[in-house]
Amino acid sequence: MARPAVVYGQLGTTLDAGRGPKRWERWRPTVGLCAQPDWQVHRLELLVPPRYRDVAAQVVADVQQISPETVVRQHTLDLDDPWDFESVYGALADFFAGCTFDPEREDTYVHITTGTHVSQISLFLLAESRRVPARLIQTGTGPDPVRGLLRIIDLDLSRYDRIAKHFAHERVLATSFLKDGIATRNAAFNALIERIEHVAVRSPDPVLLLGPTGAGKSRLAERMYALLRARRLVEGAFVALNCATVRGDGASSALFGHVKGAFTGAVSERAGLLRSGHGGVVFLDELDALGLDEQAMLLRALEEHRFLPVGSDREVDSKFRLIAGSNADLAAEAAAGRFREDLLARIDTWTFRLPALADRREDIAPNLDFEVARFADAAGRRVTMNHEARARFLLFAEDPSTPWSRNFRDLGAAVRRMGTLADGGRITTREVDEEVARLRSHWGAGAPDADAAVLAEVRGPGAEPLDPFEAVQLAYVVRTCRAHPTLAAAGRALFAVSRARRTSTNDGDRLRKYLAGYGLDFAAVTGRPRV
Amino acid sequence: MITIDGTTGEGGGQVLRTSLALSLVTGSPFTIERIRGGRAKPGLMRQHLACVRAAAWVGAAVVEGDELGSSALVFRPTASRGGETTIRIGSAGSCNLVVQTVLPALLYADQPSDVRIEGGTHNPLAPSFEYLDQAFLPLIRRMGADVTLELVRPGFAPAGGGEVRLRARPSRLTPLSLPDATELGDVRVDAIVSSVPGNVGFRETERIRRRLGIPVEHTRTRTVAADGPGNCVWVTARTPALTECFVGYGDRGRRAEAVADEVADAYEQWRRFGPVGPHLADQLMLPLALAGGGAFTTGPLTMHSETNQWTIERFLPVRFANEPAAGGRVKVTVGPAIPE
Repeated sequence: MARPAVVYGQLGTTLDAGRGPKRWERWRPTVGLCAQPDWQVHRLELLVPPRYRDVAAQVVADVQQISPETVVRQHTLDLDDPWDFESVYGALADFFAGCTFDPEREDTYVHITTGTHVSQISLFLLAESRRVPARLIQTGTGPDPVRGLLRIIDLDLSRYDRIAKHFAHERVLATSFLKDGIATRNAAFNALIERIEHVAVRSPDPVLLLGPTGAGKSRLAERMYALLRARRLVEGAFVALNCATVRGDGASSALFGHVKGAFTGAVSERAGLLRSGHGGVVFLDELDALGLDEQAMLLRALEEHRFLPVGSDREVDSKFRLIAGSNADLAAEAAAGRFREDLLARIDTWTFRLPALADRREDIAPNLDFEVARFADAAGRRVTMNHEARARFLLFAEDPSTPWSRNFRDLGAAVRRMGTLADGGRITTREVDEEVARLRSHWGAGAPDADAAVLAEVRGPGAEPLDPFEAVQLAYVVRTCRAHPTLAAAGRALFAVSRARRTSTNDGDRLRKYLAGYGLDFAAVTGRPRV
Repeated sequence: MITIDGTTGEGGGQVLRTSLALSLVTGSPFTIERIRGGRAKPGLMRQHLACVRAAAWVGAAVVEGDELGSSALVFRPTASRGGETTIRIGSAGSCNLVVQTVLPALLYADQPSDVRIEGGTHNPLAPSFEYLDQAFLPLIRRMGADVTLELVRPGFAPAGGGEVRLRARPSRLTPLSLPDATELGDVRVDAIVSSVPGNVGFRETERIRRRLGIPVEHTRTRTVAADGPGNCVWVTARTPALTECFVGYGDRGRRAEAVADEVADAYEQWRRFGPVGPHLADQLMLPLALAGGGAFTTGPLTMHSETNQWTIERFLPVRFANEPAAGGRVKVTVGPAIPE
């Protein structure tokens, strides 16, 4: 059984008015609403301004004539100023708050064609926020002068495929934007970025990015700013400061600015980052390195949008969005009294923990490609990585024992070095092998366990301890063997330099002898069958 | 149970109205599916629903699917009662279509009826009051129907607000065979106007008068008091067997002369194919079938008429025979169906 339609609408003081037979030659929204040949209003709740009772009387009579099935109920609605948004919205909200709706049995509609644009907007807001559980009806002139046209607008956007697709597409673009267009595969990371996109565009609150050094906090902060800027959610600049690089007065002055002569060396006035970031985004990395006094000032700046520049007795205003970064456990720092609880409470509403690169090794490949392209961009020349070199680098990079202790910083630096050293802009296995060795020695002490683990694997647990000098070398040789299909290939990689100088001709043999010195052979270190 | 496919023939509202009328008279329940399936907006519109509700009142019927947009309807009459009522049609729907739907049943009811119907009395795509009053009702009165129709107040689409009063007494219809006689008697042209520029009615009647050679004294334009603008012009023509009526409606943006020409064209068509015009042919079939027999000669059958014959044969034990007649015309005969 079709459910009765109940329509709430305002009397159109101009459009609905009309006297004499001629009134039927002109479209009148409220009458047309009830004159549809294939849709019928069971009850019309007509909101009438006090001075228009006579117009209402004619409209009601005409509605009953054209739609005898419709019950009309009139309500007096007094809008002091129909163009004042606050009072119109308030009056309509109050009116609807007093109505009872029966969504189980009736379909409720709001006719938004009549009334001022202000009341249209108010009715839209009331329906959209579900304070009025109604769909909207828009009417307009049509071929039939009395009926006009009628459209029911459903605000449930998920029902509109094309709109939904549009939003989905926009979201994909936005998240891709935040990721620099890198097609990352790690599900947790992708979910995190999606959430950050949500929060960034919807909430002006501070955002706290946690994660180890080099996990990409500052890059992400820059991208968040770029997204906000593209969406016109911020107008101002992006300013960034690593708090660990400034101390004491320097920190205060860098953040809050100073007046001329505020302290020794303050020879001219300085605006400070927070003022430069007015209307924009301020990114403070390693926030935990900020002194307690500066923390207090920052909190005040966040809450009241004003602060005192160093040496000044006049406060300045600045409204900015804060993105804070840290790799410390801020809660522990707060418990230890080194970080202000109140500041933490203010900034940790939206806390995102960026994973270490080692925890999303599946994303190394797309990031490697991105870094290569970025390096080429920055260097202003073509830089590529041949297929074999890329495969070899990834074999190393994705190996669970590769620590990536400084995350993207290491990856980016590795690519920069390989790209710089590569002849003709083509990174080959030679550059990769060199870089792998370089990274290992970089991490050195940072990764003894990885080396020890490799050596324990091939030498057995009870083997003679080795000098660190030897251990690193042997572990590197073992890994290189594992990265190559044959002894000869591993030999060529290991002795690439002397090979180029033609001082060595049989690299395979040289490698076999080296391994034999430790009682090992190619099959034993790679775990592949002997051939 | 009789099942009617609503897309049969021209696939509009007529097949529904004919079925309702026949179901009321015969007492046979029916189901109609794919109602108005041939139309851009299929299903029951308000004016069709008004016919269903009116028919349900007459037949104290049990109805399923009687709601807007419904594409299927089950209609089970339990009585054939007359009496007094008022029927109000929304969206200025045609009163006269309701009259056609309920009138046969009221003639077969157990008591006299007095039914007021409010809505449009002059609607495009529906018979006008004058057509019913001057062409259709005299013929069925001749068949024995005791019926009067009164125009209480004109109502033009799209404002509506008109009213007709239908009074009928239990009657017995007898067969009627109309002679193929086309000698012309009086021809008149009339126009009515409400709230439209003064000379529209005059321009219409003048145009028709000149085209058809109607004497000035048989020409009249009246202003009527309706609650909205409207204009209607019609020609009435007497022949020995019957009076025919051809109607045109003015519309916004349509020249009076164009409306007049349409009416004159219909008249001239009828002069070729008479004595029964296409609309009257359509309307006569049901009363003749109820009476159990009859015949008339008309022009080539319209799809409306063919649909009507098909529908009537579903409800009544009659058969239509359509035989070619002189001048490209058709002689329609209805008689008892011979059991197979």
